[in-house]
Amino acid sequence: MAKVLITDDAAFMRMQLKDIVTKLGHEVVGEAENGRIAIEQAKELQPDLITMDITMPELNGVEATREIKKLLPGVKIIMCSAMGQQGMVVDAIQAGANDFVVKPFNLDRIKESFAKVLS
Amino acid sequence: MQEERSKAITSLLNGAITAVKNTIPIQHEISKPQMSESFLKLHFGVLIGITGDLKGKLILSGESAVFSTIGESMFGMPVQDDMLASFSGELGNILAGGISTTIIQSGIKTDITSPTIIEGSTTISGYEKAIHLPVIFNSTGILNIFLLVD
Repeated sequence: MAKVLITDDAAFMRMQLKDIVTKLGHEVVGEAENGRIAIEQAKELQPDLITMDITMPELNGVEATREIKKLLPGVKIIMCSAMGQQGMVVDAIQAGANDFVVKPFNLDRIKESFAKVLS
Repeated sequence: MQEERSKAITSLLNGAITAVKNTIPIQHEISKPQMSESFLKLHFGVLIGITGDLKGKLILSGESAVFSTIGESMFGMPVQDDMLASFSGELGNILAGGISTTIIQSGIKTDITSPTIIEGSTTISGYEKAIHLPVIFNSTGILNIFLLVD
């Protein structure tokens, strides 16, 4: 069971991801609504895996990923993007993200992504 | 130049139709696109900016019950109250992203901005063209899609 931090500015998406992550048998240790809060929570909660939205206010997911990977190089980060954000997904992978999933979320795709990055 | 622009707008429209079909799993009918007036009056909806080769905005509007029904069909859980605005923003994000992905096949590169939620009586103006694409859900009502081209 992995400790998971969910980052998304949309409360609805956090709720949906939390539901999926819990169904997959992992523990949601925190939720963050922007990149800055995600960095603070990552330092405090030391998650194994972070789901990271790309477009968020204050600090976007790409910048947050870069900062978190400097602080916690071992943490796995899965980017969550809408279609049409391919350019930012490439930036995120370069910033250290381990995988990405496209919204709307699907339990099987999230399961596959978690298995891939946690293996 | 004008011909290229018309082709781009047609691609945008086709992209919107494809995105709706691929995203919303409820029986629906898409009406013939219509040119809209020089201003729009909305009560509930979401606005997404489109930048890049084609600049404009995508607006989804309708009764909150329509968004709620779409949310339930997509995610299998009722979407109400605070979650409704949040879901509506994500629906806009997903549809705009779908359009962007479709029209790149026609060589049109676009990016999308974060969604802005519209609640309460709002008038939108200042665009060059507005195409109205009504999506009719027999059981619930109409989701109005407006493509505003700058």
